[in-house]
Amino acid sequence: MSSTEVFKRLQTSEQGLSEQEVKVRLKTHGYNELPTQTLTWLQVLARQFKNPIFVILIACAVVAGLYSELKQSVIILSMIALSIILGFYNEYKAEKIVIDLRRNVSIKAVVTRDGKPSEIDSRLLVPGDLVSVYVGDIVPADLRVVECKYLQANEAVLTGESFPIEKTSEGLNLQNPTPHQLMNYQFMGTVVVNGSGKGVVVSTGKNTEFGAISKTLARTHPETEFQKGVRQYGNMLLTLTAALAVGIFGLNAIIGRSLIDALLFALAVAIGLVPELMPAIVTISLSQGARRMAKLRVVVKRLVSIEDFGNMDVLCTDKTGTLTEGRIVLNDCASIHGKEDPLVLTYSLLCNAAVVGEKISGNPMDVAIWQHAMEKGAKEDARNYTKVDEIPFDYQRRMMSVVVRNNGEHTLITKGAPESVLSNCTYVEMESRKEPIDTTLHLSINDKFLNLSHLGYRVIAVAYKDVDTKTAYSAEDESDLTLLGFLTFTDPPKKDVTSALANLNEMGVNTKVLTGDNELVARKICDDLNVPVKRVIGGSELTQMSSTEIKAAVEETTIFARITPEQKLDIIKALKANGHVVGFMGDGVNDAPALYEADVGISVDTAVDVSKDAADIVLLDKDLLVLANGITEGRKIFGNTTKYILMGTSSNFGNMFSAAAASIFLPFLPMLPMQILFMNLLYDVANITLPTDNVDEEYTKWPKRWDISFVRKYTLFFGPFSSLYDFLTFGIMLFIFGTFAAANLSPTSPEFLKFASLFQSGWFVESFWTEVLVMFVIRTRRIPFLTSRPGKWLTVLTLSCIAFGTVLPFTILGDFLGFTALPAEYWVLLVLMVATYLLLVDAGKVFFYKICKF
Amino acid sequence: MLNLDLFAWWAVTISGGIVFLILVSIYLYTNSRVVRGESNKSTAGTSRVIRRESNILAAGTRLGKDFIFVWVLIGLLVFYIISVNIGSSMVFAAGNIIVEVMLIAYLIRNRREKSAETVRPRSQ
Repeated sequence: MSSTEVFKRLQTSEQGLSEQEVKVRLKTHGYNELPTQTLTWLQVLARQFKNPIFVILIACAVVAGLYSELKQSVIILSMIALSIILGFYNEYKAEKIVIDLRRNVSIKAVVTRDGKPSEIDSRLLVPGDLVSVYVGDIVPADLRVVECKYLQANEAVLTGESFPIEKTSEGLNLQNPTPHQLMNYQFMGTVVVNGSGKGVVVSTGKNTEFGAISKTLARTHPETEFQKGVRQYGNMLLTLTAALAVGIFGLNAIIGRSLIDALLFALAVAIGLVPELMPAIVTISLSQGARRMAKLRVVVKRLVSIEDFGNMDVLCTDKTGTLTEGRIVLNDCASIHGKEDPLVLTYSLLCNAAVVGEKISGNPMDVAIWQHAMEKGAKEDARNYTKVDEIPFDYQRRMMSVVVRNNGEHTLITKGAPESVLSNCTYVEMESRKEPIDTTLHLSINDKFLNLSHLGYRVIAVAYKDVDTKTAYSAEDESDLTLLGFLTFTDPPKKDVTSALANLNEMGVNTKVLTGDNELVARKICDDLNVPVKRVIGGSELTQMSSTEIKAAVEETTIFARITPEQKLDIIKALKANGHVVGFMGDGVNDAPALYEADVGISVDTAVDVSKDAADIVLLDKDLLVLANGITEGRKIFGNTTKYILMGTSSNFGNMFSAAAASIFLPFLPMLPMQILFMNLLYDVANITLPTDNVDEEYTKWPKRWDISFVRKYTLFFGPFSSLYDFLTFGIMLFIFGTFAAANLSPTSPEFLKFASLFQSGWFVESFWTEVLVMFVIRTRRIPFLTSRPGKWLTVLTLSCIAFGTVLPFTILGDFLGFTALPAEYWVLLVLMVATYLLLVDAGKVFFYKICKF
Repeated sequence: MLNLDLFAWWAVTISGGIVFLILVSIYLYTNSRVVRGESNKSTAGTSRVIRRESNILAAGTRLGKDFIFVWVLIGLLVFYIISVNIGSSMVFAAGNIIVEVMLIAYLIRNRREKSAETVRPRSQ
């Protein structure tokens, strides 16, 4: 389509739209802005409730409230509230940080309306507007170029391609073109890096290519691996609690206990099984982790992603701006033999369209030449030359030339695409002598250029010839040139990326590169970063694969090149379906859907807003070494959460199972409902500092997965240990301390109540000691457990709780709870019994971890 | 006088607890053998495994060693039932001390510090 047809189709002209027409179109198309994914405080609050444990707890609180257990009901509700407040505070704060990070600067656009150019807020652009763009401008909407002069744009945010794309105003005849191919279009969010041009706005806001990608983002984040694990755990607990509660109630009712007593006891056992503090422990762990990560200048936007961050075993990363610096640098300026030649640099500096002021701007490759020359101090050599004329770059010739004067002699210097320059050369300079270029030499030089391209470099050739003095020079003078040498350019890897990726590999995280750039460039970067490349798949190859083939291919592929944002999404989905915890790191708008889909989306603060919105974690520094610290942090948090779940479920299960069994054969309840609930509360207090506990170094070495079958096996194996020692305590209390005598007494007699209280006190203390102290054994895999040092606060609080639980039967509160003082002999036996229990559990670990891996 | 019904109930319960623990141990052990056997099959180690399994004597010895923990449990059960039946705190205390010494020796033999026995990710 020609420019005239474009004007006609969009009902506009070279004079632009009239202000009246703009008003009409603004009403029809709306403002030229993108909807962002910023959450309101209410949405952040609402997402705190998506936790099945809360459902169980709320149900327990309601039932407890209904059966006059108001105290317990209030305690449970307070715990829920605490968890919600903590989670909300941290997540909302993170959201606010991200909002602050946004560059709150409105983009201006130069638009021609009613024949007059003026600068307006880009939000007010409408389809049909005629927009002018210059070097350094961010393109404000999708434009069809109608006029251009050396116009080049960096489209990395959209396509991932580092090198600038040349633009043209000519019509193109393409079938189903991709953004890469649309050279007569400029896309919203891309940057003009060279030249200037005019374009007619084709689409605005969410209808642009940029907006289309934003639209693909789901309104809600997919469930993370951690959330799935918590949901499965909640379901397991729900089933277990319901089965046990119904069983206990039924059995107690059958043996003739009053229905209310049986119900309250069953309810207390059920509440005892539920780890009330779990949401709080998880939230405190996550919040503390987020705070520690903030010190490393890492903003955690979604707390639940921290654990997946630690468990991540595949990190997919974009290339440009993530692994690389996202800017072009001059790598080499050499003769055709590959030897460094200062004259190549001097000539390329003279034949250069960059605008040098306080800041150097223009074509990134020309800018890179200047920066290189300034670093090398080579710009002085160029001072001996005076520029006489310039033959600008154009897309037909794909080269530019200048004529310079030095000592009265005129020289034409040409710089451009190697194949174009070479075809205009008849000689090549070889060690200060000119050699004619025959067919063999032409092919050999061409091969050299191709090889360099295959190594991932962008190559530019430099040639010259002596010319006579003329008033004006033209493209026709660019013939019979002497090829001087070439320049190679690259987008260099970021500092420390090599060691960051090596660190990740050592931590069990596999890196895969997903880029819109070509395979050669991606390979070069992987080589530079010492990332072994197993297989490379291109976007076109991926399109032809079935989902099963993609699932198989993603396992063995390191580089995915020339892929679209949708394909990035497919790759992430395939990896997730294969059971991986997948992280994705990117900064462009083309990365946003993948950031959203990944278990952990990681972005940087220099990323486009859409990417930051979609990300779970935002790195405020470009230093990727911080990733390894974040992963370790995530693994520690996962470790401490897992500890609580394993300890809580197994010891609670054991205790409640013993309570259920004992209630059947004992003439009295083994523990009163109030006593069970109090013990549960005290246990939770002891656990509150668990998030500060130390995690063994070896635990953080490899990523872990939520494995509900492991939790089940753990509960099945370690739960009965606790029951075993409960039963033993029953035996001691009944047959050594004589409480069996109650069986022959009337349940209302003071003697009966005394025996029952002694029994209950004995079991309370034993149960509490074993439940709390086993924490020191279970918190580590090390054998003996004493070789792993627990956290300072955990030790202090746990031992304080033990002391409190021990003196409780001797206090007024103990009396109020129905406890009685225990004889001295009991304490001796208790110490010995608990020591045996702890050693036995430690020995059980030898057996268990030999057969159950986690 | 000891309440025999109550004692019988108690003995059944604690024995039930230990039997349950032993059954769980056997289940976990067998389960892990099956999983390991399957992975060995897929890595062409089948013949070696079968040969090893065919050696009944070796298998018996290994079973004895692997299940040392279960033997400890059975021993403990017998000791606890007897000591509680006697009703003597002295016997109970002395027995516990002996068991503790044995367990400490076992733990020292199986000492595992800073070992990284965690699962390597599949992608490695």
